[in-house]
Amino acid sequence: MTTYNPSMDTPAGEPVLYGLLAEFHDPQSLMNAANILRKNGYYCWDCYSPFPVHGLDKVMGQRNSILPVVVFVVATLSCIGMLALAWYCNAYNYPIVVSGKPYWGLGPHMFLAFPVTVLASVITTFYATFIFCKLPLFRHPLFTSERFQRVTDDGFFIAIEARDAKFDIKVTTELLNTAGALAVEEVRD
Amino acid sequence: MTTIEIPQGRLDTGYDNTAEDCTNRQPLVTGEGTYHAVTKIVCATPEARHAPKIWYVCFTISLMLLCLLFLTIAYQVFTGVGVWGNNSPNAWAFDIINFVFWVGIAHAGTMISAVLLMFRQRWRTGINRFAEATTVFSVLCAGIYPAIHVGRPWFAYWLIPYPNIMGDWPNFYSPLLWDALAVSTYSTFSFLFWYFGMVPDLATLRDRAKTRTRHTLYGIFALGWRGSARHWKIYDRGMIIMGGLACALVLAVSSTVSTDFAVSQIPGWHETIFPPYFTVGAIFSGFATVIALAIPARHLFGLKDLITERHMDNLGKLMLLLSSIVLYIYLIEFFTAYYAGNIYERFAYYNREFGPYWWMGWAMMFCNGVIPQALWFKKARTTWWLSLPIALLALFGMWTERFSIIVTSISRDFLPSAWHMYSPTLIDIGMFAGSFGLFFTLFLLFCRYLPMVAMAEVKSILPQSHTHLPEEYRNVE
Repeated sequence: MTTYNPSMDTPAGEPVLYGLLAEFHDPQSLMNAANILRKNGYYCWDCYSPFPVHGLDKVMGQRNSILPVVVFVVATLSCIGMLALAWYCNAYNYPIVVSGKPYWGLGPHMFLAFPVTVLASVITTFYATFIFCKLPLFRHPLFTSERFQRVTDDGFFIAIEARDAKFDIKVTTELLNTAGALAVEEVRD
Repeated sequence: MTTIEIPQGRLDTGYDNTAEDCTNRQPLVTGEGTYHAVTKIVCATPEARHAPKIWYVCFTISLMLLCLLFLTIAYQVFTGVGVWGNNSPNAWAFDIINFVFWVGIAHAGTMISAVLLMFRQRWRTGINRFAEATTVFSVLCAGIYPAIHVGRPWFAYWLIPYPNIMGDWPNFYSPLLWDALAVSTYSTFSFLFWYFGMVPDLATLRDRAKTRTRHTLYGIFALGWRGSARHWKIYDRGMIIMGGLACALVLAVSSTVSTDFAVSQIPGWHETIFPPYFTVGAIFSGFATVIALAIPARHLFGLKDLITERHMDNLGKLMLLLSSIVLYIYLIEFFTAYYAGNIYERFAYYNREFGPYWWMGWAMMFCNGVIPQALWFKKARTTWWLSLPIALLALFGMWTERFSIIVTSISRDFLPSAWHMYSPTLIDIGMFAGSFGLFFTLFLLFCRYLPMVAMAEVKSILPQSHTHLPEEYRNVE
């Protein structure tokens, strides 16, 4: 697929066109517009909202994240790892009889394996979530738009990137307007 | 059940949304009820030039208590644990009582944000941030005690299994190790969960910032969050995973703490009921804390539209449920002691209510089991001057419960010749008061500078956030 490279059309020093930003009134009109965009074959676009809009992922055709799989693998490995460590330390490397108890016991060692499993999974979830989101990212073209600041308050937006193969300022603007946008503006960075 | 007319549009602050109607869902947000109104209410305090006067008064007192904590800890570390009232046979006293007390308080935050998240209780959104903050700060208070109780805290790293020149390892059968792991996991977890949930709200504060400093500071912690739908999907998944882990953790931490006692042989400690007993008591004291803090906070910081009467009503109901379980466990413990027929066990329970510490035993019975039964009445749940004293008494009661379990049992065990009474020293008391200083200093700073209510979550439960999927996606999985 040939990709439109906006920087080719822009004279040196001028801000590069990132894409179009359209504002919508409420979550429902955002969802309807997302549906229209997807049907029109756009692929470099995203919705922005102050809270997760239920069902928007289906309309946008997002695939499920592999986050749970990653966490599950880490959890399993850390649980086995901790039990193995307890076995290595207390039963293999330096066995000591304490109050006549067996060197290795699943019951008491679960008290260690469980928190270690949770700790490892939580840290993995935390970091993996932001890594999968490609955050932190402190500089983003959308942050240059004054209108976009309301995305964390009460604004609902769709941004279509200029590198989308179907992107055309006039056609796309018109499409967004017919999809129910309150306002459409160009974002340059 | 009668049908209740729910007015459309703007609801007055203080609108009574506590009436039950299974056909009509009561609004959980009163006032204007728009997205912007929610943002305005929550951001008002962090963005205000000055906090309410009472905030400064409380903050000064808390800071003084915090200094007291540092002084007592320094004195204890430089002098030795002998500055405490602990002495044979009372090897454990204030240090472990306060540890269990603070760990217990922490549990409500996890309970509200994780267990209620799993059960999809929409009302949790108003109070979860708030409750999570109490978790983070009280685990911190709890963590101090085991750390300094080891006597030489600079050797605390001996708990870590690292290859060393002596070629030995920690004993993994030791409850000290279980405790260290449980508490450090809990504090790391609760901090990450709290911060994780706060990222979108920090972005709100960043986008509303008027000065460069605020924009930069909130901006750094907001990690560049821009509300992307692709991000929300991954983030939501992460939230659910963390919540699921927290559900297990909330049951595990107090259970682990209780095994410190249960694996010993002291009458009154050596019981199989201890894990659920400690967990329920912990969550109970946590709810009491959330009620005791939510009442002043919603008055002081104008949060009545977000933490409504219904939230207080629900909190009261949960507290009542937990109080009833706690009372049941108290009674069943007496029955078990009697029915098992072990004279030491029987004596431990007789001693708890009629021994030298009798008033502690009765205080725990009344404050935790009897007085909260007033919450059966709706008036007691929704009137602040009734629910606040009930919550404070419950907190006092939970502290006396830990005192009863720990000191009463250990001060009179098997041999009467080894019996000895325990009384705390001034250092003990100063350190306990100081831990409140640490908690409130952090909590007041949180109220002043961070979003006290999870804005993004509250917005997602507003009626206008409800969307209908386009026809063709309804059956797509």
